[in-house]
Amino acid sequence: MSEIIEIKNISKEFKVLNRHEGLKGSFKDLFSRDYKIVHAVDNISMSISQGEIVGYLGPNGTGKSTTIKMMTGVLEPTSGEILVNGNVPYRDRAKNAQDIGVVFGQRSQLWWALPLVESFKLLKDIYQISDDSYNSIMKLYKSLVDIEPLLHKPVRQMSLGQRTLSDILAAFLHDPKIVFLDEPTIGLDVSMKSRIRALIHALNKEKNTTVILTTHDMGDVDALCRRIVIIDKGKMLYDNDIGHLKGFFGSYRTLKIRPSGDIKEQSEKLKNELDRFSAAVSVDNEWISVLINEEKAKVMEVLGEIQKLHDVRDMKLEEISTEDVIKKIYEEGVE
Amino acid sequence: MKRKGFRFYFRIYRKILAQDLKSKMSYRADFIISTIGMIFTNIAGFVSFWILFRSFPEVNGWGYHEILFLYGFSLISLTPVQCFFDNNWSLRIYVYSGDFIKYCFRPINLFFYYQSEVFDVKGLGQLAFGLGTLIYSWNRIGLPLTPVMILKTVIFLITASLIMIAVMNAAAATCFWITNSFYVMDLALKFKDYARYPITIFSPFFRFIFTFLMPIAFIAYYPSLVILRPDEVPLLSWLSPLFGCAFFWLSYKFWMYGAMKYSGTGS
Repeated sequence: MSEIIEIKNISKEFKVLNRHEGLKGSFKDLFSRDYKIVHAVDNISMSISQGEIVGYLGPNGTGKSTTIKMMTGVLEPTSGEILVNGNVPYRDRAKNAQDIGVVFGQRSQLWWALPLVESFKLLKDIYQISDDSYNSIMKLYKSLVDIEPLLHKPVRQMSLGQRTLSDILAAFLHDPKIVFLDEPTIGLDVSMKSRIRALIHALNKEKNTTVILTTHDMGDVDALCRRIVIIDKGKMLYDNDIGHLKGFFGSYRTLKIRPSGDIKEQSEKLKNELDRFSAAVSVDNEWISVLINEEKAKVMEVLGEIQKLHDVRDMKLEEISTEDVIKKIYEEGVE
Repeated sequence: MKRKGFRFYFRIYRKILAQDLKSKMSYRADFIISTIGMIFTNIAGFVSFWILFRSFPEVNGWGYHEILFLYGFSLISLTPVQCFFDNNWSLRIYVYSGDFIKYCFRPINLFFYYQSEVFDVKGLGQLAFGLGTLIYSWNRIGLPLTPVMILKTVIFLITASLIMIAVMNAAAATCFWITNSFYVMDLALKFKDYARYPITIFSPFFRFIFTFLMPIAFIAYYPSLVILRPDEVPLLSWLSPLFGCAFFWLSYKFWMYGAMKYSGTGS
């Protein structure tokens, strides 16, 4: 397999003004030369092969978008090297744009007022797609999704799900080598999420397109990615097979319950009662959270025990979230 | 990959334009109301102009019809900026919200791609008003209708349009540095009203500003001299096509510089 993206020790620094507080402070800022350097991305290296789907994870504001912007050529790295399909993105922005597709979950890049098919035709001209390739990709689209009702609908009249679907189709239209998907399933309902995931999966398989997927939804990662990269505070935290990480966090689930009576009191009681399950109990204003390691205790057993002793008004079961994973990696390490 | 020359961009623009007009027609009420609004704005402009000239039949040696000529000339030269560069007004919103980044991923010229997105039909009403005024005053002044005169008029109209576009580009591009460029653009648009008057009525200080810093004197005054006062054309008038191209190019570079510097808000 050939490497399609090569990133070597890139960093990006921003100069940010040290803000002072209050009105007087704001006035001071007008004349201030007091800058501090923020390391948005700090010495990250990775290489990605043709055809891979890579999940790119990390909490908000940790440099994910900055890295994507450097790969797409919008930002120039402060130091380090990036090669995307042999191009230096920042220097050959237009050339690089021909090789990549970009989708932002909440920002449509299609022409707002135009029916989808007209947007496609404009993109065909802009990317100079030949008639043959255009027809064959449209045929592929028709076999993958029910595209007919969308084609003649102006983008502004579409639902969020339809728009995201259209944006993804538009991003793959010129048969790019790499597609960047930034939270493609954000705000969508469960069935739309699974349709989008199936579409991305099929397109990746069919066209062997490399997909870089940014998301907060572990469901996306589970359905699509074999490899994940986690960054936090600009630093690389994890870059490996997802199975490797799953063995580590996959066995944890959080049981949330709302008992009747004083929630604080009840949680204190629970802590003692659940001692033998070695489950961690924490409490906030609404829910008591019980973190269960399924290798040591079954969720249903714990729930049964709680129900015997307490009057449970409401409960829900949560998979461990990206944020929890990162927290755990921080606290305990993975390798 | 084929080279992307003028013809490539022209074809894309034509297609976007055709699609855009089609979709504009679907907002029928909006289309009609904004056309009526445009007509009234122009009529109001005329009325205030007419009232002013009932009291002062002459301004600094310029007669009523000559001023009317300047007025029509400036209206026509405002048409291209209104029709083709209207998206400049939305630039600050795109930049502020971070949506501007979506323009950065296409393999075509960023400035072209951004401006091509909006075509404002209302500009055509202004063009009709301007043409009417120009033809009327042309007749009244008794200018000869020779091919050379028409050629001169066309060249200097293009010059004036380039200047106006340059001013608005530069004003819009300030939003890459400041949060709200609306006031800068509004100011620029207000200044263009001064373009309708002969620059000689201003003090030397403002004459300098309007010639070199805010080059609005090139929108109507300097070009019109060539047509109205062929005996006393200053060098600046003959140079104005050059100035037009230069200012346009500078504003384009400034706009692109801002866009490249722009990094988008986090998402």
